[in-house]
Amino acid sequence: MINQNGVMMMSEMDDKIFAEKLMKTLPTMAVPSALEARILADFDRLAARRQGGLMHFVEGWAERLWPGAPLWQPASVLALSLVIGLMAGVFVPSFNSASTTVTNSDQTLVADSTSVMDLYKDL
Amino acid sequence: MAAGMVIDPDTDLVVRVGKGDRAAAQALMARHLPAMLALARRMLSGQAEAEDCVQEAFLKVWTHAARWQPGKAKFETWLYRVTLNQCYDRLRKRPAEPLEAAADVPDSADAPDRGLEVADLSKEVGAALQALPERQRAAVVLCHFQERGNAEAAELLGISVEALESLLARGRRTLRMKLSHLRADD
Repeated sequence: MINQNGVMMMSEMDDKIFAEKLMKTLPTMAVPSALEARILADFDRLAARRQGGLMHFVEGWAERLWPGAPLWQPASVLALSLVIGLMAGVFVPSFNSASTTVTNSDQTLVADSTSVMDLYKDL
Repeated sequence: MAAGMVIDPDTDLVVRVGKGDRAAAQALMARHLPAMLALARRMLSGQAEAEDCVQEAFLKVWTHAARWQPGKAKFETWLYRVTLNQCYDRLRKRPAEPLEAAADVPDSADAPDRGLEVADLSKEVGAALQALPERQRAAVVLCHFQERGNAEAAELLGISVEALESLLARGRRTLRMKLSHLRADD
């Protein structure tokens, strides 16, 4: 005995089988070679545009420095190096001993030249 | 493999396409173009429009391939969604056709000759398919014309399996009502 739900299920199954038969009547289509050529021409055009771009230049150098890595890895290492370098420049005290030595030498030179001048003063 | 990673047979090709590998682009196109074109052809009914649709879809592939993140989603799913969205956009831009012109199906009572030529039959079925609402049409084409499973078709359409089955049931029912005179030949 087929109840209402059973009848509905049978109907849906019939619809499914019927739809499958209908779809089989639709022809399959070959892909036109002109379409393939157009799609690849789009690819070639975009590739050529990228070849001359700044991003391609940057990616090329990143590939040489760090082969196989995504661009963000060498970029972040370079950025970190730059930050460390700047912080070192700001916070590491400059070494003034060399300049004071130069000053002392200057003073010595002045003192020596004064003594030399003194020699001639009495002439 | 990390949890949640998707196994995708297209990953290698897509990555190579992103690096400008023409051979990879050609292989990717050969792999997916026939099915994409068939889907677009059945959604849009015009060959030229279907070709434009798939060409636009592949243009998006070439543009976005360099940024493709492997493992997050299947490339084929993304590609089919792009194709379907292109189809939906074109369908929505079309002026609304009068219902009588959408599917010129002869009344079963008036059809004198049940032995239709194959070409006429496919034309009639194609017209009835075109008359379906776009989402029902997509569901029927994916499941019956491209023979995809329900789960796969639901994923391509971005809906639940239950929603897909509802679309299929309604689409099949409409086809049965429109083409019941063909059914009498079984």
